[in-house]
Formats: sequence, C-alpha cells, structure tokens
Amino acid sequence: MNVSDPAPNRPVADRPRWFDFKQELPSSTALMLGVGGGLVFLLAWQWVGVSGQFPRQLFPPPTDVAAALWRLLQESNFAADIWASFVRIMLSFAIAAAIALPLGVLMGAFASVGAALNPLISAFRYLPATAFIPLFLMWLGAGEAQKLALLIVGVVFFLISLLMDNTLAVRTELIETARTLGASRRQILWKIVLPASMPAYLDTLRQMLAVGWTYLVVAEIVATTDGIGAMMMRAKRFVHVDEIMAGIVVIGVLGVACDGAFRLLRRLACPYLRYQR
Amino acid sequence: MTPPEIVELAPSAPLPRADFLQIKNVCKDYRRRGAPPLRAIDNVSFDVTEREICVLLGPSGCGKSTLLRMMAGLDRASEGELLLADQRITGPGRERGMVFQSYTSFPWLTVRQNVEFGLRVNGESLAIKEGTADYFLNRVKLGAFADVYPEQLSGGMRQRVALARALATYPRLLLMDEPFGALDAETRWQMQELLLEVVTKEAMTVVLVTHDIDEALFLGDRIVFLSRHPGRVKEILTPEFKAGQRLTTKEALSDSPGYHEMSKHVIRLMREEGETH
Repeated sequence: MNVSDPAPNRPVADRPRWFDFKQELPSSTALMLGVGGGLVFLLAWQWVGVSGQFPRQLFPPPTDVAAALWRLLQESNFAADIWASFVRIMLSFAIAAAIALPLGVLMGAFASVGAALNPLISAFRYLPATAFIPLFLMWLGAGEAQKLALLIVGVVFFLISLLMDNTLAVRTELIETARTLGASRRQILWKIVLPASMPAYLDTLRQMLAVGWTYLVVAEIVATTDGIGAMMMRAKRFVHVDEIMAGIVVIGVLGVACDGAFRLLRRLACPYLRYQR
Repeated sequence: MTPPEIVELAPSAPLPRADFLQIKNVCKDYRRRGAPPLRAIDNVSFDVTEREICVLLGPSGCGKSTLLRMMAGLDRASEGELLLADQRITGPGRERGMVFQSYTSFPWLTVRQNVEFGLRVNGESLAIKEGTADYFLNRVKLGAFADVYPEQLSGGMRQRVALARALATYPRLLLMDEPFGALDAETRWQMQELLLEVVTKEAMTVVLVTHDIDEALFLGDRIVFLSRHPGRVKEILTPEFKAGQRLTTKEALSDSPGYHEMSKHVIRLMREEGETH
C-alpha cells in the first residue's frame, strides 16, 4: 500500500467484529470486558438481594457481604482464620506435589514405571476424596493431620496423572537429539525432559491448586476450630449467611491470587515462552 | 566478537578411508500381528568414504530414514551390522552427530547454549565450550544471534543452529535426515550452499537422506539410490559431471554439462519405483 495515500480505505480485518472465532482481543478490551462481566454480576446480585424477593438474611446483597467481611476482620480475628486455611492449603499442596512430581515424571519418562503404576493411580482418581473422611478420622484422629490428608488425597492422584501426561508429551526428537550428542540417561532426564515439560508442569500445578482450594471447606467442616471453613460452620449455626458468603468470596480471591502467582512463576521460570508462536 | 583461532582441520591428513562407514548386509524386519514379519530393508550393503557426502535417495518407504537412524544408533538392524572406522555401531554417541527434519532446538536454551549442549554433557571445560560454540555459530553465520532463543529465529536459522550443534562435538560422521525438508524453496538452496561450504571446510563425512533429486545431485559426491518394498540398493551413482569437484552455487548445478542427463536418469529410477506399486 502506498504510504502517502491520503485517504486509505480501512482494511476489513481492522474493523472490530464480535464473535469471530479465535479472535485476538487487545488487552485493554479484554480487561474492560472482564471488569464489565464482574460488575454486571454484582449489580444483578445486589438488585435481587434488595428487591425483597427473598428474605435479606438468607440472600444478602454484596454490600451486606462486604460489611460482614469488614466486621469479621475487625471483630472476630478473621485474618487468623484466613492464614490458617492458607497454610493448610500450601502445606498440603506442597506435600502432594512432592509426591506427584517424581512419580509423574518417572511414569511419563519410563514406560515400565508407567505401566506398573498407572492403572492403580488412574483408579484412585475415581474415589471421592470426601469418602476418606471417616477413614482419616479413625486413622489420624480429628487433628491437623486428618485435614492435610484429605486435602492431599483430593489432588494427588490427579496431579500424578496429569504430570505423567505432561512428561509423555516431550517430543521424541528432542530426546533423540540429546542422545546423539552423547547425553546420558540421567542427563536426558534432568537437562531435557524436565526443562522441556516445565511450562506444562507449572500449568498443571496451577490448575490443581485451584482444585485444592475447593476441598478446603470440606476439610475444615469436621472438628476444626480455625480456618475459613470453620468460620463458615460457626456462621451457619447463627444463620449469618452474609458471613458464609464472605468466606466464599475470600476463598475465591485467594484462589485467583494463587493462580496469578503461578502464572508469574511460569513467566519468570520460562522466559523463552514469550517468543513462542 | 572475534572468532577464536582454530587449527584448520588437516586436508593433508592421510588418504581418506574408502570403508570409513561400512553397511554390511543390513536388514530390518517389522513384526506384525497375525502375519509374517514385514521386511522393510533387505540386505543393504555399501561403504561410505571418509570426507565424502553420501546421499541416500529414494521414494518414500524405501527405508532411507531407518537406515540413517541405524547409523545414528537410534534404530537397530534386524540382521547385519554397521561399522564406523571398524567399530560396530551399537547405540547413539557423540562421534555421530544428527540433524533431523523437524526443528529440534531446545527452546529453553539460547542459541549458544544449544550449540554448547553436546560439549556440556560431555564435561568439556568452559573455554572449549565457548570457543567452539562461537566458532561454529560463525561458520553457520549466526554469530550475531548467539544470545537469542531459538523461537525467535526463522526455520532456516533453526536448522543452522541444529547443524552447528551437531558439529560442535566434532563428530566423525554427520547424519542428516531431510534436514531442509520443512524449509521454503529459497531458504532450501541457500542452506544447501551453506552446508556444502561448511562440511567441505570441516572435512566432514556426511550421510544425508533426501527425496529431492536436485538436492541429491547438488550435494552428493555419491548417491545411493534405494528401491522400496523392501528397501534395496538399486544403484549407486557418482555425479560424473562434477568431475570430482564440489559445486558452490545452485546455478552451477544447472550449468553443468551432464546434469540434465543424470537428473533424467534418476527421475526414471523414481518412476519405476512408483509404477511397481
């Protein structure tokens, strides 16, 4: 196209069009749409909450929930509960990852290990973690160990399976290239398989940490005095629905923050990814 | 950045061995369920002379890639043996470098780190690593791109990284499996010219697989034509029109008297293979 053309026609592709498949949005538009979606949700909730359709105590609007959250933080030392839950999630997830990483990597890297362990671990994924609660109560008592065990069982089998799949996805040519360059098996594992799968591992960990958060309340319902879930159970006794909802909101916010932290970690650990086409 | 001083690899060395690489009665059978094994390669024997470029040419399904992978030690022969300088090839090793058709740069390493990989896993000292990497990066004209990630490079440049990486361990044999198959036509002949320049300077013995007749005639000092179903040596051709010299430009190929006759002959060989199936 001639640069000095005084009145160039606008190319068709530049016209903003909604509902194109796999459209690339400018980040400002994406942000606007994301905030807009949230606002619409909050406004609708607020409207339903104050409309009188439902008793306000059972369906409080977001303003009531925000007030309850403020009250909890000021008067009931809710920050300590949040911290207790956060530590529980992080500790259990760290343990689950420490179990799952070596297993998943070895199962994906070596067909023999995979064949030996995968049927069993695949089957375990189908067992509902909550069904283990009575077992853990009998085995581990009502203390901290029982809660951690539940949070670990909730994610560890999925983690192993997914990390194995991530490892299997390493391109054979990369491994063969390393072999022709004289790399030993140990070197291929550490210098090819692990770095090649790292972005996928971090994605898997991020997704499964989100699942971990969903088990939090279940873990803290049984015989617990601290944590977000325990607070919610106390609130239920007095029909403080606003406080229960405040707990849900806090879990959501923490989950999103963890997600962001993992995305940041992925960017920092794998700086080359931004060049990927 | 000045390229380090490198001792010219002696072209005055003792006479090249005519049986540098020996392929002796090599067969490859694939087991099939409920059927006798399928013979993919049948009793292939030929020798590759030291410092020559030997091209394996043939239609798809002639087993040329499998044969090359056997030379690399990535595949095993069902019968027969392969010897490099009288040493039987039993597995991959740094003395046999390989360049694949697909891009095999390690995306998490910079271009220089990619080229250094083979030296690093073999425990070479830092000085040797850096000097060698820069030397070969300059050889493939990527000296200015040492510190970028492979994903930032074009396809042709990535294959140059793969070439430099394969050469950096100073292999005795360079194996190339349709190395320019994924490149566009223009990049392809530029790469062919560059390859000729580099391997001639380095006095490298090369076995290259292709199904492109012009590529075979341009690069090959000798061309082993394989028939298919099963793969057998159909004819070994020496491009006499080059009179023992290597060409430097693609134009020189079409200018060579005798090129067209040979090209026609090879096309006929290809056609015969096509018609039998």
